[in-house]
Amino acid sequence: MVSFLNPIFLLGILGASIPIIIHLINKKKAVSYKFAAIDFLLETNKRISIKFKIRQLILLILRACLLMFLALSLAKPFITNSGGGAEEKNIPTSSVIIIDDSFSMQYSDRQESFFSSAKMAAKRIIDALKKEDEAAVITCSSPTFLVLPELEDDKKHLLNFVDQTQPGFTPTHIAPALDAAVEILSTARTAVKRIFLLTDMTRSGWDPQWFKSGHEKLRRTVSRVHILDVSEAKPLKNIALTDVEPQLTPMEKNTEVHIKVTIANFSPAPVKDLPVHVFLNGKKSTQGFFHIETNTSETKEFFLTAEKGKDHYGWVEIPGDNLSVDNKRYFTINASQTINVLLIDGDPKTNIYESETFYLEKALNPGREHLSSINSSLCSIHEINTITFADFNIVFLCNVETLPQEKIQELEKFVQEGGAVIFTLGNKIDPEYYNNALGALLPHRLHTTRTFSSASPLSGEQPLHLKVTESVHPVLRILSEAQINMLSLAKFYRVFYVDPTPLGNCKTICSFSNDTPALIERQVGRGKSVLFTASIDRDWTDFPVKSFFLPVMQQLCRYVTGSMSEEIPKEILVKHAWQYPCPYDMNVIEITNPEGTKTIIPPQFVDNEKYFVYKETQAPGIYAVTVNETLHPQFPAYFPVNVDATESNLAKIDQNEIRACMGGTQLSITTSRLEKESHVLLGEATKTLWGQLLLLTFCILFIESFISRK
Amino acid sequence: MAENPFDPVTLSKIANMELRARLIVDGVLSGIHKSPYTGSSIEFLEHKEYSPGNEIKHVDWKVLAKTDKYYVKQFEEETNLRCYLFLDASGSMGYQSKGISKFEYAATLAASLSYLFLKQSDLVGLICFSDRVLHYVPPRSRVTHLHTLLNVLTELKTAGKSNISAVLNPFIEKISHRSLIIVLSDFFDHTEKILHQLQHFRFKRNEVILFHILDPYELTFPFETVTFFESMEDERHILADPKSIKEHYLSGMNYFLGQFKQSCLENQIDYWLIDSSTPLDQALIKFLARRESSLRPARKT
Repeated sequence: MVSFLNPIFLLGILGASIPIIIHLINKKKAVSYKFAAIDFLLETNKRISIKFKIRQLILLILRACLLMFLALSLAKPFITNSGGGAEEKNIPTSSVIIIDDSFSMQYSDRQESFFSSAKMAAKRIIDALKKEDEAAVITCSSPTFLVLPELEDDKKHLLNFVDQTQPGFTPTHIAPALDAAVEILSTARTAVKRIFLLTDMTRSGWDPQWFKSGHEKLRRTVSRVHILDVSEAKPLKNIALTDVEPQLTPMEKNTEVHIKVTIANFSPAPVKDLPVHVFLNGKKSTQGFFHIETNTSETKEFFLTAEKGKDHYGWVEIPGDNLSVDNKRYFTINASQTINVLLIDGDPKTNIYESETFYLEKALNPGREHLSSINSSLCSIHEINTITFADFNIVFLCNVETLPQEKIQELEKFVQEGGAVIFTLGNKIDPEYYNNALGALLPHRLHTTRTFSSASPLSGEQPLHLKVTESVHPVLRILSEAQINMLSLAKFYRVFYVDPTPLGNCKTICSFSNDTPALIERQVGRGKSVLFTASIDRDWTDFPVKSFFLPVMQQLCRYVTGSMSEEIPKEILVKHAWQYPCPYDMNVIEITNPEGTKTIIPPQFVDNEKYFVYKETQAPGIYAVTVNETLHPQFPAYFPVNVDATESNLAKIDQNEIRACMGGTQLSITTSRLEKESHVLLGEATKTLWGQLLLLTFCILFIESFISRK
Repeated sequence: MAENPFDPVTLSKIANMELRARLIVDGVLSGIHKSPYTGSSIEFLEHKEYSPGNEIKHVDWKVLAKTDKYYVKQFEEETNLRCYLFLDASGSMGYQSKGISKFEYAATLAASLSYLFLKQSDLVGLICFSDRVLHYVPPRSRVTHLHTLLNVLTELKTAGKSNISAVLNPFIEKISHRSLIIVLSDFFDHTEKILHQLQHFRFKRNEVILFHILDPYELTFPFETVTFFESMEDERHILADPKSIKEHYLSGMNYFLGQFKQSCLENQIDYWLIDSSTPLDQALIKFLARRESSLRPARKT
């Protein structure tokens, strides 16, 4: 059946009468001229007159046809699908309308964005539904659908839902949306089940893997999939900030920040002198210019200086284009405070490298300056009375034989109030003394030492190795996979066995190859106590000379003091959860989103660990973390939320590719501009005729001009 | 037609020119036209033996004294030209593309010729016609006769069909003297009939001059747009695309003119095709100059 998108233009067919009227008027009013030599005209014109009349008639017909075809082509005729369309017209249908609300739908090169067009199309589809039809509307925003809407026949409700839908900041997820639609339609009462997908056809949203397996279910369940390309198949151009990565270099007083900015050009033309501005704490700090070739990206570094010991936030910005969402990218800088560590060396030697704390001190602060943010102070057991533990964050007791009683009490108080103590053992350790004197702090009671060495005549056993008990433990998480595998390279010839009964709330971070605990932590009051069951120097092990010694020790320090900001991902993508280990004494935090809305977050258990989890990352921007409305040094005060840059690439998926992916699913793809007529939206227009008509009009115009000139 | 058909410029140019007829008609009044007859005249021609009945006054007494014979002097007798102007006033003569109509042009030409003839003391008659004689002014040579002719010419309107042969026919018998017959027309009529009648004039030893007056548009047919052509004499009409018929029209017109001219030459009829856009003085001067040059050899004889 032939229908029209712009039927109003059919009035133009009346225009076909214009040449006829002109002809009649001309004939009637034809330049009347009295001429004397008419005999000659009458004689010569007998034959020519007939030819002339025929030619005039042909021209008249051509001109009438020209106007008629022009009016017809402007009316945009199309042939409606006689198969599915007719079937669907007679029986009730069930439809799922999928609105692509990914951020690329905010693209706008005219008055309204693609998303507005999609909403309009959705409304027209709903309007076109009959009383007995049922429908549901879903969006592509979430890769997982928690609660699927049910099919309903309340048009008003459906239209309200469409009205309330807003474009998101997430990438497109076509496959899960189709899955969800199939699931919704599997409950449909009707026989005709349709999916309307209103999208901009960006390639990034289509998962080819899903189509390899998922289209079969789609084909079986769904009668037809109608895809409406709201971008009208136009090529789209975009310039996007795809990555902003701050890297910190601690200096004595400040922190030097290198911000690596990556900008991608997804446009058909290269970009020159693109200004880029970097803002820090709301103020413009620096700027630069980018030259980016077509379909490539370029990375440049910007240098900033941030105050040490404070959290900073900022963003990078490029000038606006058709898609403005990805023209701004946020970052935060966590220039954490210095951790003061007291190393009490229980076995100092004249040769400095033989001292118990030699390797530990070098590992915690490898440079001359305090580059690691860990400031270590060394003292012997004889100087201990001059030291106040409260001046430090961590106290290392390295092979310390005894401590004065008052210092033990001070140490317990120090840990109870939030400090940390780390015990490393050695040949000077008397287990019985430790168990009695330091029982309040030790995670486990010490038992006996045992030697593992093939070289020893006493034992034929092989040295022990380290093995990871909890790969996800924050202390070890900093290690790369290769480094974790290398942990087993460290040899331990002598270790302390501990009593299997823990003295408190203990956790083994890593253990030896014979399952003997190697590194145990215990929560003591507000602080932590950690026991390393071997020596920290090379007397019993070669652990200190291994490459992973330094990061493990530094990370241990940060962990026990709660300065684990490096653990937080550099940036969080929109709709991804922000997660942070909860300090034991913290019951609640408050997160302020970029719009100023505050959310109170209580801790929750994740893998038996208490974490603060924040999932309301709906929009990109800087989120502030406060405790009692003040930025808390124990947290990263800010965290950035950005859009997924994969959606910035607006390259389109080919229609044929989709058809191939869809297998045998009945599919119609419409790329025309939205019009009032619903047939196209409903996918019933299988063939448009205006192109051919326009071509025919041009042919007629050509013939007409040829004949009229002759 | 213009109120005063005499263009002073034209008349001044033609005033001193003489029209000499090829044939001498009888006349008694003094003139400059050569006569085929001998008689009393200023210019002596030859002597002839006296015979009874000759005028005594013509006897050459000097010759009698010398030869004792009676001879009579014979002189070249100058006689007057009798000219009949046939002016076509049918509907088709009213056509004008721009400027002046064919009739206006022909009437002006007739007036100019009349003036010229009258200035030479020739007799000029005027017959205006369409399919019948509309006005007939008998030949006169008086100066006041010009006013009569001009009155007729100025008051005349073009109308009706042309039928030249029917008009000429009665005049074949009516014109007894050898005369100069001048026909001014577009000759959109039956060519054969016209030529047939003119042959009769020639047979009676009249000189015949045809002024074929056509409009430039009739000769070039420069029309562009589709036009509804209407006849100027009857109800005939035709809607035509000029571009498509131009070629055929022009070939038809040229064939007609060629045939007409050829027939005139064969019948010793002086034929002049005049484009009505041609300035009248030029046309007239050209005509008179050519006639004078063609008559010069005859004058010597």
